Amino acid sequence: MLGFIGVGLAIGMAALGSALGQGNAAARAMEGIARQPEASGDIRTTLLLALAFMEALTLFSFVIAILMWTKL
Amino acid sequence: MAEKLHELAAVMEHIRPHVVFYLGPIPVYSTVVNTWIIMVLLFTGIFFLTRRLQFIPRGPQHLLEMVLQFILGLLEEAMGKEGRKYLPLVATLFIFILSLNLSWFIPGMKPPTMDLSTTAAFGVTTIILVQLIAIKKKGLKGYIKHFFSPVPFMFPLNILEELVKPVSLSLRLFGNMFGEEMVVTILAILVPFLVPTPIMLLGVIMGLIQAFVFTLLTVTYIANFIHGH
Repeated sequence: MLGFIGVGLAIGMAALGSALGQGNAAARAMEGIARQPEASGDIRTTLLLALAFMEALTLFSFVIAILMWTKL
Repeated sequence: MAEKLHELAAVMEHIRPHVVFYLGPIPVYSTVVNTWIIMVLLFTGIFFLTRRLQFIPRGPQHLLEMVLQFILGLLEEAMGKEGRKYLPLVATLFIFILSLNLSWFIPGMKPPTMDLSTTAAFGVTTIILVQLIAIKKKGLKGYIKHFFSPVPFMFPLNILEELVKPVSLSLRLFGNMFGEEMVVTILAILVPFLVPTPIMLLGVIMGLIQAFVFTLLTVTYIANFIHGH
């Protein structure tokens, strides 16, 4: 039973961190687009790249959680 | 609760690739067969599309040219005129990964990108190609020098950076596609009616974005080497 809690905690905490980061990045990008709509193309590309890097951290944890879960 | 967990285990068993047939001693998994099917579909589709090319594009040709133009814009933005010659590599990656990601529209087909083997192959081949491009561009000496670049004791960190690239590339694609599929199946177990539909719609967008991110990262890695530190 403790194993299930561990798996849930692992993925949940990783998701918490990257959600905060991604929310912050997206909010700033929207501010930037609102201020300078002509730069929206550049901002969108950079934002996607940054989001991908943040996403990767959660996905590492996701893979680890899956590995733990199959070992249970 | 316990029976739901058993159901989930059965679903995991279903998602996992299974052996279709044996090629001599080598087992051929369903992932590989699905990839072959997509390859055949893509190849015949593109073949017939490019038979009658028109100067003023219409219909499907227009769509294809739009995709290529978009990727060309990405390349030229990253490295100027020089980026033009990497268009075949990058555009092929984008179109292939996109069609693999969206292949769950074909009934009975599981997207091959849901298997870590496929994405690992993509990541490793892409990074090896990027290294080869870098060697060709800078020469072997310049390439080795780049590892010692700002200061010599950065060497282990630079090596680590190169080694982590394929891992993060492949895990990102795999994690997103697999996670998407898991969420849809778990929702389908809990509430089978209508609830998984919006998540499936999200899956289409996710497949597009992940294919785009993979291409974007490849372009960034190449551009990093070409412009250098």
